[in-house]
Amino acid sequence: MDPILDTAPCGFLSVADDGYVIEANATLGAMLRRAPAAIAGSHVDRLFAPASRIFYQTHVFPTLKLQGTVHEVYVSLRDADDEDVPVLLNAARRPRGERFVSDWVVVPMRQRNQYENEILKARKTAEAAVRSKDEFLAVVSHELRSPLGAISGWTHLLARGGLDAAESARALAAIERNVRQQAKLVDDILDLGRMASGKLRLEVSPIELAPIVEEVLEGVAPAAQAKSIRIDRILDTRPATVSGDADRLQQVLWNMLTNAVKFTPHGGKVQVRLERVNSSVEVSVSDTGKGIAPEFLPHVFDRFRQEEGAADREGGLGLGMSIASQLLELHGGTIRAASAGQGRGATFTVRLPLMVAHGNEQPPAPARGETQGLAAQAPPSLEGLDILVVDNEEEARELLRALLGGAGGAVRTAASVAEALMQFQAHRPHVLVSDIEMEGGDGYALIRRIREIEQASGARTPAIALSARTRNADRLRALTAGFQLHLPKPVEPFELVVAIANLAGLRSRS
Amino acid sequence: MLFAHGFGCDQSMWRYVAPAFEEDYQVVLFDYVGCGKSDWSAYSAERYGTLEGYARDVLDIVEAFDLRDVIFVGHSVSSVVGLLASLEAPERFERAILVGPSPCYVNDAGYAGGFERSDIEGLLDLMDKNYIGWAAFLAPVVMKNPGSPELVQELQESFCATDPRVTREFAKATFLSDHRASMAKVRVPSLILQCTDDAIAPDAVGDWMHRALRGSDFKLMKATGHCPHMSHPAETIELMKEYLAATSA
Repeated sequence: MDPILDTAPCGFLSVADDGYVIEANATLGAMLRRAPAAIAGSHVDRLFAPASRIFYQTHVFPTLKLQGTVHEVYVSLRDADDEDVPVLLNAARRPRGERFVSDWVVVPMRQRNQYENEILKARKTAEAAVRSKDEFLAVVSHELRSPLGAISGWTHLLARGGLDAAESARALAAIERNVRQQAKLVDDILDLGRMASGKLRLEVSPIELAPIVEEVLEGVAPAAQAKSIRIDRILDTRPATVSGDADRLQQVLWNMLTNAVKFTPHGGKVQVRLERVNSSVEVSVSDTGKGIAPEFLPHVFDRFRQEEGAADREGGLGLGMSIASQLLELHGGTIRAASAGQGRGATFTVRLPLMVAHGNEQPPAPARGETQGLAAQAPPSLEGLDILVVDNEEEARELLRALLGGAGGAVRTAASVAEALMQFQAHRPHVLVSDIEMEGGDGYALIRRIREIEQASGARTPAIALSARTRNADRLRALTAGFQLHLPKPVEPFELVVAIANLAGLRSRS
Repeated sequence: MLFAHGFGCDQSMWRYVAPAFEEDYQVVLFDYVGCGKSDWSAYSAERYGTLEGYARDVLDIVEAFDLRDVIFVGHSVSSVVGLLASLEAPERFERAILVGPSPCYVNDAGYAGGFERSDIEGLLDLMDKNYIGWAAFLAPVVMKNPGSPELVQELQESFCATDPRVTREFAKATFLSDHRASMAKVRVPSLILQCTDDAIAPDAVGDWMHRALRGSDFKLMKATGHCPHMSHPAETIELMKEYLAATSA
């Protein structure tokens, strides 16, 4: 063999049509830890790993014979130690002397192979995620619709009149119930979104779990009674202080208990246990309900995953447990599910690290409902401030009018950029609050135009952008367009009032 | 004579063999749905999830052309597909020529199919990489718009065109199925052409088939590999003609 070809930085071999190797170069020999002379004379099938052997015989050889060439085929060879050698193969079949010969060039791709495995895996994961998001969207839409149906039906009956007092009360109760149900759904969805973007904030303080468990037990008692379900409680009376967000932990326990009641048949049993385990505290909820199929058990906490047979679900999105697991993670805790199988009940166990007590003194457990931070302070007054609110959605305008008006501000509204500019020129506000995403001219256009108008006078009206787009790039865009502040939608009322007050140079009354 | 291609290619794999029979026989060639120039819109994952679906294709053709006294020639997995079809409509099939047949590719207690299940999973991964990873290789034309004439033109110039998703399912139906139990019910006389050194359907599998199939003849070929009709067409034609002459006498 030509010495250049023999030592070229790629494997080379020639194969006869009958599958026997005619010659191989030294590089291929080194790649496969075989003497090139030993490769020559062996059947090419012997050089492949099993899966690649099938692929070669069923795909590569027929194509090579029919088409004359194959390019960029990924296969695995086997070396003398039975180790896989992933390679990229190019081959061309052509006449040489009396017969046809296929010349192969193989380039090893160990590193590249790993990289491509990752890409392929990522692609499959992404495709699966898109699929489950689509399914999730379909379920969400359906779930959001059902309370709407009840609300609109009852509203219709009320509007038509003719209901007596008892019927009206029933109608209102039904509407309220469905509004609550829908609000819960929306909260869950928003929670998921916040968690996905890392925006969920915990109000952490030292808390006792037992009172929270008691409170949740009280809450689910009516539902349990309605199904004649007995709830046994085994609560460790020693103090167990954890560091956490009381509302969020209550939300988790509420989810566990309502699920247990929901999935347990009439006359069944639910057991709640609170106990200290080493340096942790565990709350477990066991039921005698429909249980969880073993194959679904690992997916109980997956987002957008529900057990097969969505039709017979008990309602709800099945988001609760996914949210619970993420909340626990934020707390440095865990939640796990166990079940002996379908129809054999389930146990969910929450584990939270105990707070390290300083000295012998237990940290005080603040009364529930007491929140810390900004929300506890009195909101500043917007008395004497003219505020121009721009949003093309009437609901949003009215909400902001009520909110800011309630804080003492004098609010005027505009439904479009054009209207806002007219209002602005007729009566300069102290503060401008504008939505970004509007049809027929957006918030960016508005603020740019306003800054142009102001150039003559040198004045600069403080302006706040409201937007559902909350990435850094979006914020930056709003600020460079001329806004002073960019606040995410949905608007946090307290935050907006404070922001307006600050921008207008006022101080909080407290 | 009805020629059925194997997994991974299309009817063009018979081009070195089929013409030799055109003078004496009515030769029928076809592509399974999802392969070659078939109507890919007719593909259904449900029907083609098992080899019975492919056997249905064979029966559809036999019925559409009202073929009788069929000499079925199948390569590899198609051997089993043809035999399954013969169980449905035994009266249509006169003889079968089975090139590298295997009723079960995966090893089992007391049966050496040649592969472990993990090998087959490796094959599926390999196919994903070669098809989905990048489209340069075996699927030069993935037909997205069958109505477009230029695409059809291009397709006619490519061989073994396959839709990656279809091929993946075909691979599963082929390599993860076990049709050993059906073989004993077969009544159509057959010729088994077994290659020397066949890594896909090894000697032991050919022996198994010969023992299981009543009225089967067995020929060990000089040809090596798994596609003697492509690598050793002359020997293949000779053995087929020999068998047909002997059995029609």
